[in-house]
Amino acid sequence: MKAFIKTIEYYLPETILDNQQLAVEFSDWSAEKIKAKTGIDQRHIVKKDECASDLGVAAARKLLESGVVAAKEVDYLILCTQSPDYFLPTTACLIQNRLGLPKSCGALDINLGCSGFVYGLGLAKGLIETGQARNVLLITAETYSKHIHPGDKSVRTLFGDGAAATLISAYESTEDAIGPFVYGTDGSGALNLIVPTGGMRKARVIDAPIRNDESNNQRTENDLFMNGAEIFNFTLRIIPPLVKQLLEVSGLSHEQIDVWVFHQANQYMLEHIRKKLGISEKQFVLSFADCGNTVSSTIPIALKNAALQGQMKPGHKVALVSFGVGYSWAGTMIQWRGI
Amino acid sequence: MTKKEFLHALEEAMAANKDSIRGDESLQDQVGWDSMATVSFIAMADEKLGTLVEPAKLAACKTVSDLIALFPGKIS
Repeated sequence: MKAFIKTIEYYLPETILDNQQLAVEFSDWSAEKIKAKTGIDQRHIVKKDECASDLGVAAARKLLESGVVAAKEVDYLILCTQSPDYFLPTTACLIQNRLGLPKSCGALDINLGCSGFVYGLGLAKGLIETGQARNVLLITAETYSKHIHPGDKSVRTLFGDGAAATLISAYESTEDAIGPFVYGTDGSGALNLIVPTGGMRKARVIDAPIRNDESNNQRTENDLFMNGAEIFNFTLRIIPPLVKQLLEVSGLSHEQIDVWVFHQANQYMLEHIRKKLGISEKQFVLSFADCGNTVSSTIPIALKNAALQGQMKPGHKVALVSFGVGYSWAGTMIQWRGI
Repeated sequence: MTKKEFLHALEEAMAANKDSIRGDESLQDQVGWDSMATVSFIAMADEKLGTLVEPAKLAACKTVSDLIALFPGKIS
């Protein structure tokens, strides 16, 4: 029994934040500069009363309504989010109820960011290929906008809210359609992408003072902080060895990979990495201009769009490379069977 | 890499006009250094000098001369 990606749907909230709006707020960054450096035209932002779980439910309903699987056939739900509804109960339990999944369905949250989809695929593959489940619904859902101070242009330009629902199902075969996997973690980088308060380590600070950093980005200690230079440096350090290791464990050469889908962090970083790794533009999926960095949903959104646009076809060998907050990273190979 | 080549590469990374950076300017006040600039600079150093710049050392730089000093022996 093997696991494969059967279908993907995604949902983006209605409210748009585009570069023109950001240029009005941050007069030293023009709309053109934002586009040139990030590759992003617009981001979707949740309303005040919208949560990541709402986006996840919307994506999952699209998936269920497509008819590929009935709710009663889903036997495991994994929700990847860093914006849960509550500390407890588990947000996946709430989603099970809202989607009408069977009470026999397993459900859990995983707290990961940019690497979350690939980690989720690894868990789904393990569940299916050990006979614990047949249809795993992996929802990645994120609302980083709720963690971001409106005066922090360094991250407001990059992150968008959104969710993806991916169905990973069992099929009879001896050939892997997902895997192998390479994982990595380096917690020494934790402070470089963090929301410092609101958890058990430090409570949210009432009336926290707003501070300006050296680039005039404003934030309080309750808000997301990202050290862009450290994150980029980390990316440049770990991605080349990650890709090398992924090819080695897969027994594949660079030339045998048909499509590369990296976590869609920002275009400037991705273009630099693409050139550094010698990957052609044709094989390198870029699909985030109209939604920004949706954290754990960037890869499933990119996969869906690449399939719809014909950049990725059934039979293609697809490398997924994810990296980010934690620091956490993971790579895997997909034998794309179409959706 | 010569100093002139470095300054041209820096101008390209900063989307500044060619020959607009002389080499002694303040990063914040005269070159428009910001969070996007640091990422562009790290990419430029990786591509053109084969060097991964340590962000902490980069954050300590105040002038273009300080940037040049990050690469001892690599810029003539």
